[in-house]
Amino acid sequence: MSSFRRQSYVGKLKFAHLDAASTIKKVFVATEENVVAALNLKSGHILWRHVLEKAEQGEIQFMGGGDDDIVTVSGRNFVVVRTWDAHSGYLNSEWTVTQTSNSRLIDMKWFLLQKQLFQVVPVARSHITITAYNMSAGTRLSSHDIPAPWIAEGSRCVLAVPYLACLEAAEQEVFLHSVSLTGVDVQTKSLSAVLGETKADVTLETVGGSQPAVALATVGSPKKHVLLLKADGFTLFPQQLSVASKLCITLNEKSSIIIEALFIEGWLKLSGYETDTGMELSDLAGKSKYPTGLGEGSVAAAVCSPRKDKGRGCHILLATDDHAIALIFHPGKILWVREEALASVAAVDSLDLPVSDTDAAIEKEFDHKESEYAGFLGMFLHRLASQMLQLRALLLTILGLGEPPSAGQRAGLVRDEFGLHKMIVVASSAGKIFGIDNLSGEIIWQQRLENVKPYVDQAVGKNQVPFFVQRTARHFPSPAQCALLLKHKVTGEGVLFVFNPITGQPLADPDGLIRLGYKVKQSLLLHESNKESLRGILLLDNEDNLHVYPESTQSVVVSVAATTFIFTVDPDTGVLVGYSLALSTKQKLIASRVWEIKLTQGSQHITAAVSKNSIEKVHSQGRVLGDRSVLYKYINPNLVAVLTQGYDPVHKQFLNIYLIDAVSGSVVFSISHKRAREPVHIIHSENWLLYSYFSDKSRRTEIVTLELYEGKVQSNTTAFSSVAAPLQPIVDRQAYILPGMIESMTETITEKGITSKHILVALANGGILEIPWVFVDPRRPITVTPEMREEGVIPYMPELPMPSESIINYNQTVQRVKGIHTTPSGLESTCLVFVYGLDLFYTRVAPSKTFDLLKEDFDHFLITAVLLGLLVTSYITKKLASRKALKQAWK
Amino acid sequence: MAAVCVLGGNTLLDFTVIVFVLGFAHAVQSEVDDVTTELYSVEGRVFPPDSHVTSNWQVSTRVFMNGGDFVGFLKEDGTFTINNVPSGSYVVEVAHADYAYEPVRVEINSKGKYRARKVNYIQTSQVLQVPYPLKMKPLKRFRYFQVREQWRVTDFLFSPMVLMMILPLLLIMILPKMMNDPETRKVREQVFLSDLQICRDSGVKSMFPSALSSVPNANVPQISILQ
Repeated sequence: MSSFRRQSYVGKLKFAHLDAASTIKKVFVATEENVVAALNLKSGHILWRHVLEKAEQGEIQFMGGGDDDIVTVSGRNFVVVRTWDAHSGYLNSEWTVTQTSNSRLIDMKWFLLQKQLFQVVPVARSHITITAYNMSAGTRLSSHDIPAPWIAEGSRCVLAVPYLACLEAAEQEVFLHSVSLTGVDVQTKSLSAVLGETKADVTLETVGGSQPAVALATVGSPKKHVLLLKADGFTLFPQQLSVASKLCITLNEKSSIIIEALFIEGWLKLSGYETDTGMELSDLAGKSKYPTGLGEGSVAAAVCSPRKDKGRGCHILLATDDHAIALIFHPGKILWVREEALASVAAVDSLDLPVSDTDAAIEKEFDHKESEYAGFLGMFLHRLASQMLQLRALLLTILGLGEPPSAGQRAGLVRDEFGLHKMIVVASSAGKIFGIDNLSGEIIWQQRLENVKPYVDQAVGKNQVPFFVQRTARHFPSPAQCALLLKHKVTGEGVLFVFNPITGQPLADPDGLIRLGYKVKQSLLLHESNKESLRGILLLDNEDNLHVYPESTQSVVVSVAATTFIFTVDPDTGVLVGYSLALSTKQKLIASRVWEIKLTQGSQHITAAVSKNSIEKVHSQGRVLGDRSVLYKYINPNLVAVLTQGYDPVHKQFLNIYLIDAVSGSVVFSISHKRAREPVHIIHSENWLLYSYFSDKSRRTEIVTLELYEGKVQSNTTAFSSVAAPLQPIVDRQAYILPGMIESMTETITEKGITSKHILVALANGGILEIPWVFVDPRRPITVTPEMREEGVIPYMPELPMPSESIINYNQTVQRVKGIHTTPSGLESTCLVFVYGLDLFYTRVAPSKTFDLLKEDFDHFLITAVLLGLLVTSYITKKLASRKALKQAWK
Repeated sequence: MAAVCVLGGNTLLDFTVIVFVLGFAHAVQSEVDDVTTELYSVEGRVFPPDSHVTSNWQVSTRVFMNGGDFVGFLKEDGTFTINNVPSGSYVVEVAHADYAYEPVRVEINSKGKYRARKVNYIQTSQVLQVPYPLKMKPLKRFRYFQVREQWRVTDFLFSPMVLMMILPLLLIMILPKMMNDPETRKVREQVFLSDLQICRDSGVKSMFPSALSSVPNANVPQISILQ
């Protein structure tokens, strides 16, 4: 069906090691996502990849490369050292470091030298402890202390193997201590000779590579100095380099070279210097065009080797600000770029593509303002004119003089009949936005945003980027418009990025970023659009003032103000506040507090507030029971599920779930679970709520489903009112065991909601399980009665089955799933699924089978043959029959 | 207060919750953590699937406990060690994309004694001990796909479409032939007549006379369908 199944990523680069010597040249990387991997140097593809423990426990402190081994040091509190086989990627050895003191572990530094792993622990105002370990066995070889009374809590120390360089600012002078970590020498030299008399602050950074060197710069100065560390102190590199330049030292035959990378307005300037003489190497000087989509980067690793013809070539690995990894062959070109920003997706939406050029031409006919062509005659004239234009366009196309097809048309980015071809817009935590073709998996466009960062939901530590689809591609000729809400890196004030989701072009001047100038507390997209079919975004700031973007939608807000409500959640205090817009006037929008609930006390915190998908449609209003009566669903679009978690000595970890009507503020239902802990996942849809937690008592994952019903009569058949009839729903509930751990969960969604719902569960083992709703239905009876059988529910079984046929990603396992995005296609039966995390995965599912599609192996030939056969036989029999009738008549 | 109606299916409210929290710290602690700080390691060996001869199966196989809180990696010979594990009860799972392995529950008590047993999520107290250090053997190859229905002649012949085509043909062509065959006709008439006799005897007015009358022209109404 499509070539886009799975794309694997590694995350933001932390450590890199280039191996240009072996037969398959590789790049070894260790990343912030706790991944260690080997990439093919030529193509950038992953050769092998290992995902370490989550969060702090697997945080990679160090990665280094030996001849055949890669060493990683991971874990913040409990340190584990692993060595990996560089070629095949399996584990060679694993050992733990028994830590001595807990307090200073974060400052711990590691390095690899001659097959020995060194641990450097500076202890404030006292000494530096250096311990050497055998790399593969983990045996402690030696340990010694170097007295360093000058070392302070906040000392700026950098590691330049095999030295530790530290700055000490005395009254008048700045001293550089270089501690030889293999010996016991400490060389202390004043920097006044290098820097001159200076009062300003001095920055110190290490220059990575094969030779120990550090770079020094005074704050505000345009140049930086490079000091080459030696056993007897340091020597100054003769050239002064720009502060903005990124440096790396690499070996070349006998001498070593400093590679300098400088980014100047869309160009990347690379130069090489001999370290000893400072002479610039002419064959390494070069300037090349730098892709606009990439941010500035630093040189993570570089390797130079002599080329076959003459001179030399260098492989330079860049790690950019926007989390990309790029390999440059210098002099020459960029060999490959890995967009690792896609490993940290914060928001996703899929959008319909625009109509094709031919369809657009027809649409144009109906594109007019009502006032211009009022009346029958006006319409008729308009039609004639537009058809003349169409005829002209047709003639021009035949003659080859017509307008060239639009860019989207050329790229095949047009809507298909079934709405299966979409644009997946992905916003990454790295401040980068991508448009991905869902069928091919290609990145169509990308936008890098400066000075913005995503909101952080600190209750769960997840990045959030609210995504608003203000106008879809349906409203030709206006382009589709989307907006993302981010916050400014420095001020923390809200920033909106407004763009066209199909092309990625910013739709506001000059770069699409709109600084709001206030901190945003809550945001929502209006359901009504203005005359330009644009839906406004309501923003509530920290002072409870209400704003709307764009301004032109203010009148729309006023018209729906009486029925618009907002609510906010404060996870820390546990307070939910509901606002009403009813007091708004044409001049000013007012959000007035209507209700307030405090849900938590003591150690409790709100960890989630889940509302229903706003595009969801509920097709069936009730459920037919065994006795042919109807049990009506309680479908309250304003219902929000709020989760609070806490700890108490008796019940240990407990969690509470509240179902709250966000308009009236009434608590519709609440439930509590004792000895239940993370991971908790909630799905809220139609008239049901499904959540999972880990039961500490039985040590298993449990899934609970709640289903809400109004009863045998429906209170209001046309609309649901949160205020008029505060009815208490009947709640059915049931719990199930899932034999696995859940990483993420979502429900499927379809165009009209006729197709039954399935639950998509991302499991820790990398599979994505599809569970039909009938399996988790709370009405599954323990004792089967004939009525229940008539109703069509299956008997209760505590454990949910996990058949391998229900794993929708079969052997394409995905790891560290952060979320699953489901979106309806044009076909009622089909739901499009996009899974994101460390890997991206796309597929489509048909919960009730593809009832509106012919099977892929449908035999067109057979049915044609049968039909033709029937036709022919009927014709022949007709002839025969008439002949027979004639014969009969003659008898 | 005026009644406020929100249309079902057209939600007027769209809530995008932006959560603002400052310095939230997880006060909740794992139950296991406060019992002991002594750390243990879980050891075992994963056996490769026999038929699976592709290289690097060690790299594509993951071992994890409690859904990825602790992970183990395979050495060349398939052995693994999961380090820095506090005492408690854990489920050790082996994840391979193509082969299923049975999970094992490993319990480490506060004195550092190990016990490995089969995982039973329903009867959690049931103990079926398995050897420790763990020996993880592949159970079966995953079947991710349902077998596609094969085309067979019998399936084709008994498919409704074909039956629909053939049965009327039989009715049209063969039935009239049977009716017109003189011998069968004779037999039939005799049978009908004797039946008629029985009916008359029992005094029941049945539908047989009409059936009898329609026999000679049985083919006429059916052919008319096709005309």
